[in-house]
Amino acid sequence: MKALLDSFKPGLKDKEISPLQFFGKHGISVALVLCVVIFSLATENFLSADNFLTVVMQASIIGTIAIGVTFVVIGGNLDLSVGSLLSFATVLVVDLHDKVGPGMAIPLMFVFTLLIGSINGFLIGYLRLNSLIVTLGMLSAIQGITLVYTGGKNVDISDQENTWFAFFGREEIFGIPVPALIFIVLGIILQIVLLKTGFGRKIFAVGGNETAALFSGLRRKRLVFSTYLLSAFTTACAALILGSRVMGSQNNVGEGYELLVLAGVILGGTSLLGGSGSIVRTVIGVLILAMIQNGLLLLGYPYYTQWLVTWVVIIVAVWLDIAAKRGKLLSSY
Amino acid sequence: MKVQMKSVRIIRSLGKVSLLAASISLGLSGMANAETFRIGITQNNVGVDSYQTTYEQAFEEAAAKAGNVEAVVLDAGGDVARQISQVRDLIQQQVDVIIIWPTDGQAVVPAIRGAVKAGVPVVVTNSNVAEAGQSLIASFSGPNNIQQGAYAAEMMCDQLDGKGEIVQITGQPGYTTAIERQKGFEDRLPEVCPDVTILDSQPGDWNREKAQRTMEGFLTRYDNIDGVYAADDNMGVGALNAAKAADRAPEIVFIGATNFAVGYEAMARGEYHGSVYQSPAEDARNALNIAIAVAQGKEVEKVSYFDTPKITQENMAEFEKPVF
Repeated sequence: MKALLDSFKPGLKDKEISPLQFFGKHGISVALVLCVVIFSLATENFLSADNFLTVVMQASIIGTIAIGVTFVVIGGNLDLSVGSLLSFATVLVVDLHDKVGPGMAIPLMFVFTLLIGSINGFLIGYLRLNSLIVTLGMLSAIQGITLVYTGGKNVDISDQENTWFAFFGREEIFGIPVPALIFIVLGIILQIVLLKTGFGRKIFAVGGNETAALFSGLRRKRLVFSTYLLSAFTTACAALILGSRVMGSQNNVGEGYELLVLAGVILGGTSLLGGSGSIVRTVIGVLILAMIQNGLLLLGYPYYTQWLVTWVVIIVAVWLDIAAKRGKLLSSY
Repeated sequence: MKVQMKSVRIIRSLGKVSLLAASISLGLSGMANAETFRIGITQNNVGVDSYQTTYEQAFEEAAAKAGNVEAVVLDAGGDVARQISQVRDLIQQQVDVIIIWPTDGQAVVPAIRGAVKAGVPVVVTNSNVAEAGQSLIASFSGPNNIQQGAYAAEMMCDQLDGKGEIVQITGQPGYTTAIERQKGFEDRLPEVCPDVTILDSQPGDWNREKAQRTMEGFLTRYDNIDGVYAADDNMGVGALNAAKAADRAPEIVFIGATNFAVGYEAMARGEYHGSVYQSPAEDARNALNIAIAVAQGKEVEKVSYFDTPKITQENMAEFEKPVF
């Protein structure tokens, strides 16, 4: 728990901070509270345990992926392939479910998803190719593989009522939906890994100053490689949730998810230049985005207001983040 | 060089065999018409969904079966620039008719104009081109999405006995199919059922998981929902999933469109109530028949819809389970 609380105060713990710096550091939590308050006052049904769990569950697919992608971004790279990797993994696990049974389908799906992640990691970590180009190309390549695999057909699980595969997306433990549990537990574990292990600290170092990290003897290649394995791993976990929740999959089910994931990561204040960021803040970022969607739907606003509001929230968050670092709200340059 | 020659010869002899096969089948079917038509098609994005995949298979089958058709089957891969160059290729190959499944109803218009100028008539399939192109084309062949929306309204009305509160999950915003189905539904509903009100409409983007999330929101917001209209079965089943999870499915009527296999199965289980049966094979055959008629110089209707009947629990036995 201490680790979690600490994560709200990255960097040095100064005794006196200006309100601006406070917003810069805790802005994301303030925004979360603001969202809850506004939507609770504006709608009847927002503030209920049921609806809160619905929001966390709805955020769980994007959120689980975002946790892994946060590692990639802290390491100074991007991963735009997670959306189509999610399509691939979901199609695979759903299709194999009926062919070899869920007990075999799940490990197979993890193996193939991690394999693709390791290709990303190899190209970016070991061959030092630009991550934007590699993962953008991978986005199309995986979509192609998925289409070849299915021949363009949707895949569905035939016996949806009696399979234990339903556990990951449809069941509850102590009243908490399993997708929400997977999301939160993964978030806590990986936040601790990020902050309390040598591995986590090295990733900050690699993303912050690659040259310095190299000279201090860090194995950059292996570290970057492992961040892509992590993002593939969390994407595979998300595919488990998605496949089980829907009990079927379209070929392009994850289309555009890479941008939603990135929006959550950015909203959480992780720098796109690498070297800083936090899992807890990513989780909050994703929750805020899900809450905006849910809240505006409950208010009965048309869908395009969601896009607008989401955009405004991201801009404000990024601006506050930068302003706090510069120490003033309006910059002269 | 030798290898190349050899392969050319093989291809030629293959061509002869298929010609032979074609003439045999012609002879068997007793058609005296020995004229062969070359019909080129540039499709939107085969492989991206099962509808388009099935369409392509059915088109090739129908062309082979027709006997007097030599089909040049191309796919634009969703890329409008590629589609435009494919139209040019087809003009160069001097096909008799070009069938276009527009990747973009607006951007393909100049290509259509080019084809018509070169003397090649154009048939548009599945989704129509923009207004500016409609005077150029020989015919449009496809589903009537406004009618499909109207059918859905009628089925909803029947199932609710003329009274209730419903929600609507629409397709991807901006898509012609989505807009037309919504319009057909919203125009027809007050005519047949003035006492059924639409509480809310939100897009599900043709995505089952998105539709599921949208429905979860509706279920939280409204304590009473009597019916859901989803613009395709994929989203309809998503809505059904959400309602089942909230234990509210039995009290809700589910009406979709474009009957998918999952929708068909849910209907067989008694959980899903109505949809519109749109067969991609029928879609393909209709387009091919129109194109053949155009090639033969026959008069064709400017718009030719293929039949997309209502499917409900009562009459579903008359329909085969959709392949997609």
